[in-house]
Amino acid sequence: MNKNYLILILLAIALIFPLVFGSYFIHVITTVLVFLSLSLSWDMMLRTGQLSFGTAGFFGLGAYMSIIVVLNLGWNPLFSLLIGGIFAGLIAFLLGFIVLRLREIYFAITTLALTNVFLVISENLSITGGSSGLTLSTAIFNGSSVKIYYLILFLTLVVIGISEYFKRSKIHFAINSIRNDEITAESSGINVFKYLLLVFVVTSGIQGVIGAAYAQQYAFVEPTSTFSLNFLLLPIAMALVGGIYSTNGPIIGAFILGISSEYLKLIMPYGHLIVYGLIIVVVVLFMPQGVYKPLKNKFSNKNIRGDSNAKPSN
Amino acid sequence: MPNLQTNNLVKKFGGLTAVNNLSFSVDSGEILGIIGPNGAGKTTVINLIAGTLPVTDGEILFKNENITKLPSHIRNQKGVARTFQTVRPLEDFTAIENIMVGSLFGQKKGLEEGREYAKEICDFLNFENINKPVDELTVLELKKIEIGRALASNPDLLFLDEVMAGLNSEETWELIEIVKKLRERNMAICVVEHIMKVVKELTSRVIVLDRGEIIAQGPYEEVSQQEQVIAAYLGEDD
Repeated sequence: MNKNYLILILLAIALIFPLVFGSYFIHVITTVLVFLSLSLSWDMMLRTGQLSFGTAGFFGLGAYMSIIVVLNLGWNPLFSLLIGGIFAGLIAFLLGFIVLRLREIYFAITTLALTNVFLVISENLSITGGSSGLTLSTAIFNGSSVKIYYLILFLTLVVIGISEYFKRSKIHFAINSIRNDEITAESSGINVFKYLLLVFVVTSGIQGVIGAAYAQQYAFVEPTSTFSLNFLLLPIAMALVGGIYSTNGPIIGAFILGISSEYLKLIMPYGHLIVYGLIIVVVVLFMPQGVYKPLKNKFSNKNIRGDSNAKPSN
Repeated sequence: MPNLQTNNLVKKFGGLTAVNNLSFSVDSGEILGIIGPNGAGKTTVINLIAGTLPVTDGEILFKNENITKLPSHIRNQKGVARTFQTVRPLEDFTAIENIMVGSLFGQKKGLEEGREYAKEICDFLNFENINKPVDELTVLELKKIEIGRALASNPDLLFLDEVMAGLNSEETWELIEIVKKLRERNMAICVVEHIMKVVKELTSRVIVLDRGEIIAQGPYEEVSQQEQVIAAYLGEDD
């Protein structure tokens, strides 16, 4: 019950927020939500045991596809988000047949290499505008920061919904089993490849939609900034700081890192990245489970202290 | 019609022939013992039939269907289940969730139904701490999880790979009684075991493997007297 109230309150704050705060804060939170969605999608793939470094790649694919269909075909920018997602998902589906045969560091390195391949391709095709990229005449919603905020908020809520669905359905049992022990999983009737492909396509599709939304917000794509490793490393850092294998972890991590990075930029324009890096290192060193789980355990222990059957979890 | 029939099964690891021209069958309601010295190929046979390893040559017929080329998860869905010699629990799950994996995917049940089925299996196994995390379980409980997960897929053919190893004699008897009850359900069961007391108590027939080949078969009492079996176990030269 308490939890439901908390969710409703947070949702209300998220909805009222742009009516109260100015465009600078709206912009900061919009960016946090973009990275939050990427972080969550990266974590969803990690739950299968596969460490993907392809987040920036599929983000960029969606971004490019969305700008291309708006620019060349005159399609509705909102509809182009869907196209960007479908395109990224389709590419993930095709590549999945090859890369999902790989495991561990080989999978990770290959997905990172793919990002670079996408970048090189985008630099050399005329339809992608070569190394100067593509620019739209106007951003989505004519650049209205409030409308863009609500759009990104909506997408973020959808991503959170998908993540929770994965947590509460049979998919959770399948991917958790695959991560724990692939041999046990397959001899218990789990089609390992099918589930890996499903999660890879869905998470890549999410990254594509988010990339498309980000590109429409700024009305341009350009190889090095669109396929920037920022869209890989920041989401990973957020998930690690918040706590992996959960929905709440990446959400908390995204807000901690997203807001602190903005704040640090304001108070020390030249040294903020050093402090930012330090925060990540300290959290990962001293809270290897991230911030969320220890917090949760602390609160739930308090609630059940009177119960003699309750055991403190280690 | 036998439940399981293998014809000239061969498995080579590079130059080593682990299983050589192995043909045997098991009937429903029968418990077959597979015994032999270390390295005889017993676990490899299970890996081949469950689909964990691909066969080099030969064929596997399960309920008259050729399953030689089918992937592991399909074989499980068709009714072939196994336990692992060294227990392989899914460590991020509780006890019952481990067992649920079998009913959810081996039988394609929904979450509620799958949990109910897993609970029934826990009752059958006298498993009480169903909500304990895996790292708090005893050896006997971990063994029961192995068996439970296999049973939850509702198999017609069950391989038990040294499930009694590492248990004290009271615990061993508890599992022996459980396996006997399974036989009454008309399941075909193959027991790989080093503890001869267990083999003697459970099986109606054994096959003895040495270097991947059957060197003897028949009731345990007869087979255990045969010279080549004793020689294989004691490592004598012939």
